[in-house]
Amino acid sequence: MKSLLQSVAVVALGALALPALTLSALAADMDKKSPEELLDAAKAEGQVVVYSFTSRIKKVEAAFEEAYPEIDLVGYDISSTEQITRLQAEHQAGVANADVVYISDAPVVFDKLLGAGIIGPYVPPRVADRVPAEFKNPLLAQRLSTKVLMYNEQSHPDGPPVSNLWELTTAPWKGRVVMVDPLQRGDYLDLMTEIVLQSDAMAAAYEAQFGKTIALASGVNNAGEQFIADLFANDVILVGSTDDVNAAVGKLGQSNPPIGFTSYSDRRDNAEEGWALQLANSVEPSPGIVFPAVLGIAEGAKNPAAARLVIDFLMGDESETGGAGFKPFYVPGDYATRTDIVPHPDAVPLSEFAAWRVNPEKTATIRAEVADLVLTLQ
Amino acid sequence: MAELALGASGRRFFAAPGRTLSLFVLAVVAILIAAPLLKITLVTLAPETLGAWRDVLSSRLSPNLFYKPLTNTMIIGAAVAGGCVLIGGFLAWLVVMTDVPFRRSIAVLSTLPFMIPSFAAAMAWSVLFRNERLGGQIGFLQGLGLDIPDWLAWGMVPSLIVLITHYYSLTFTVIAAALATVNSDLVEAAQMAGAKRRKVFFGIILPVTLPAVIAGGSLAFAGGVSNFAVPALLGLPVRMQTLSTRIFGMMEVGQTARGYVIAILLVLISAFFLWLGNRLITGRRSYATITGKGGRAKRFDLGGLRWPLCAAAIGISVFATIVPIFVLIASSFAPSSSALFSNWTLHYWIGQSTPSIAQGLAGIAYNPDILSALTITLGLGFTVAAVGTVLGLLVSYSLVRAKRGVVPTTVSQLCFLPLFIPGIAFGAAYIALYGAPIGPFPALYGTFALLVLAATAFLLPFAVQTGRAVIQQVSGDLEESARLTGAGFLRRLSAITIPLSIRGLSAGALLVFVKIVRDLSLVVLLFTPTMPVLSVVAYRYASEGFAQFANAVAVVILGISVAVSLLANKLQAKSQPWLKN
Repeated sequence: MKSLLQSVAVVALGALALPALTLSALAADMDKKSPEELLDAAKAEGQVVVYSFTSRIKKVEAAFEEAYPEIDLVGYDISSTEQITRLQAEHQAGVANADVVYISDAPVVFDKLLGAGIIGPYVPPRVADRVPAEFKNPLLAQRLSTKVLMYNEQSHPDGPPVSNLWELTTAPWKGRVVMVDPLQRGDYLDLMTEIVLQSDAMAAAYEAQFGKTIALASGVNNAGEQFIADLFANDVILVGSTDDVNAAVGKLGQSNPPIGFTSYSDRRDNAEEGWALQLANSVEPSPGIVFPAVLGIAEGAKNPAAARLVIDFLMGDESETGGAGFKPFYVPGDYATRTDIVPHPDAVPLSEFAAWRVNPEKTATIRAEVADLVLTLQ
Repeated sequence: MAELALGASGRRFFAAPGRTLSLFVLAVVAILIAAPLLKITLVTLAPETLGAWRDVLSSRLSPNLFYKPLTNTMIIGAAVAGGCVLIGGFLAWLVVMTDVPFRRSIAVLSTLPFMIPSFAAAMAWSVLFRNERLGGQIGFLQGLGLDIPDWLAWGMVPSLIVLITHYYSLTFTVIAAALATVNSDLVEAAQMAGAKRRKVFFGIILPVTLPAVIAGGSLAFAGGVSNFAVPALLGLPVRMQTLSTRIFGMMEVGQTARGYVIAILLVLISAFFLWLGNRLITGRRSYATITGKGGRAKRFDLGGLRWPLCAAAIGISVFATIVPIFVLIASSFAPSSSALFSNWTLHYWIGQSTPSIAQGLAGIAYNPDILSALTITLGLGFTVAAVGTVLGLLVSYSLVRAKRGVVPTTVSQLCFLPLFIPGIAFGAAYIALYGAPIGPFPALYGTFALLVLAATAFLLPFAVQTGRAVIQQVSGDLEESARLTGAGFLRRLSAITIPLSIRGLSAGALLVFVKIVRDLSLVVLLFTPTMPVLSVVAYRYASEGFAQFANAVAVVILGISVAVSLLANKLQAKSQPWLKN
């Protein structure tokens, strides 16, 4: 009797464990497949859901469905901060809404999503040999994005109106510096965090600007924090999205436009939107940050083959500009991680770009502290 | 022996008529309302989140995290209550007590603003008054060359104006109903005794209507305190935070423990003030104003002020109702809100995707996200209206049947509790409880079921109110006779109560439908990209700078809301005693 029960239990457990085993074996197997080999399975899945931190997902959607008419790409434009919250909640709830996660905020993503097993890495074998190791580990970076100081080049045809970040804390720029609320968008919090991490450079820039050593206010620990405090004291304008920054700074026909932190790549929309955004690359000590936009596959994704196909597609085809899949990102101000995609001719080359390269691990250590600092300043 | 006795009393307990129903209702209400509130409290008391209380209440963060938002919230609550009592009271006095021309039209106009969702009103304000502070599109008035100062474009002043115009119809209805009960004999007696108008007002009318004034004021207070959309749209750009926007901000960036703590505090604060309002009213027991047959008093003769006051009343209503509707419709056609009446295009409604407009967003008729949001919103409205009405009927039935005892008292208090809970705090509590699997039950995060549960619970007070009114209307004799013939509970409900009160029930259901379709504060936290609802879609478009799309969606919600409200009013053939001559 007992043995009968035992054997029933064993069989039942085996039946439960079997699908899990085959699934993970299947996933490992899938990671090695070429897009052609993935196609049949992806077609059978018929659909793929992408959470994307950029609105350009709509263009990717159209291009992907043209390339693979049998697969419906459902793209959601959700900010990185919100994606992290949603993905954590969905994971806790045991639902997998998303298949592909396309996201910035690497410091939090590595720790809270990858570390917690909410998303996993995937590097398409087709392009693996053309992506440097630093951009394949721990997650695949599709491109480098930016949050940098931009100005209106129509109103300032001779170059940026400021030469040092500390000028933004002075009277002429009171109420005229625009950025997105760092508590609403993680990449702006990363920018603030990097400024704190670069406190030595900020202290030197202070001396260059004002001709004296920086004096820290009480409760302020370093030059970076002092800069953030002074910027907020100078009535920095906080808005909800980068497009608000772009419109405020870039709109044509302004006599005295504000200046602001936004994505270098938004310069691509200058003609369409009627903007005159330009990068203030010469500003001391640095115009801002450059950081990876990473791709991952959600744990328990319902459409694993189509998900891999989307990531392969997003990495660009074999042409030198990456073709249809990379086209929305082949713009001045975005930097492909693939070594064989030629740099965009209209942008400052990455080697001359003065923005700080974000170190996700370092950023993660003090990010929460900087968030609390920003909270006290609002 | 003891066991036997227990068994006997136990049997009686369950055999008592309606006992099963009572216990069923208690269980449902406990799951819907008590459990989420209990859970959110327990979550913040766990060792790893206990620190959030200190962060919020006494740390270097607390001024910005809690005390400043609290101050703003209190200012909003007090000013909205005051403003609504003044405007609503003024309109009610005009309509009920005076010989102002167009009384009926003024009465109807005064009830309209509440049908306009508050986020739509805030968007309309933005279309008119937005200035250059944030860059991007400027508003219509700035476009005309007027220089709109920051204080009029953003922050406290516009929030207050929009909230007062939204909630004054609530105080109007309450105060007008009370004024209509002022017995003319009282007034005439006073007049005959030689009392001056001022004396009549302060000696008779004010004391008699005081409970209504306080009730209307506390409703407006609660509304202002818990409103999310208006301060979020008009206040956040100038860093004006209220408790509602803080809760939303904390939840959105994953600082849930802090968000929960602020939510609990917000519930306690609103509950305290509503309790205080109740307390003030019930302190004096007797407000009997209906004494035999009193005729309608001679109306106050406004004399030369008749027309100016009429113009003022209509002006207020036009500003609060017609202008926002008109502005929203116009701006959903105009590429630039600074030139509201130029270059009209149907693009935002029926345009195909063009890369040069709004980053290639197609018009709302071709936008699959909006179509699915529309379907889900309507589905949610119908489901909640149906489920809520049935539940409301069952709850009130069980309450009417068993008047005393622990169970009915608990049920009655629990099901009116949501009135004290701001929507955003309620949403937070629902995420805390149903965001993770409970035992064998899967998590409800991101499901339609979660939206239905939360919305049903949130609107239960209104459903129960409808249920009570309906059951009290149907004479107990009918029930008794049916019961004597052996008809069971469901049979009596379906053959007598429901058919006899179908108008009242449907009107109640429609109101629940409207309330959920235009709600933002409850659903804004429950929203997931795969389960979108219209109001959140509109809010997101508005905060991302796609004003025209936001306004087009708002027009859709507004249309549904106004049409259904009017239908409900008609069905109810609402007794408006202040219109009788």
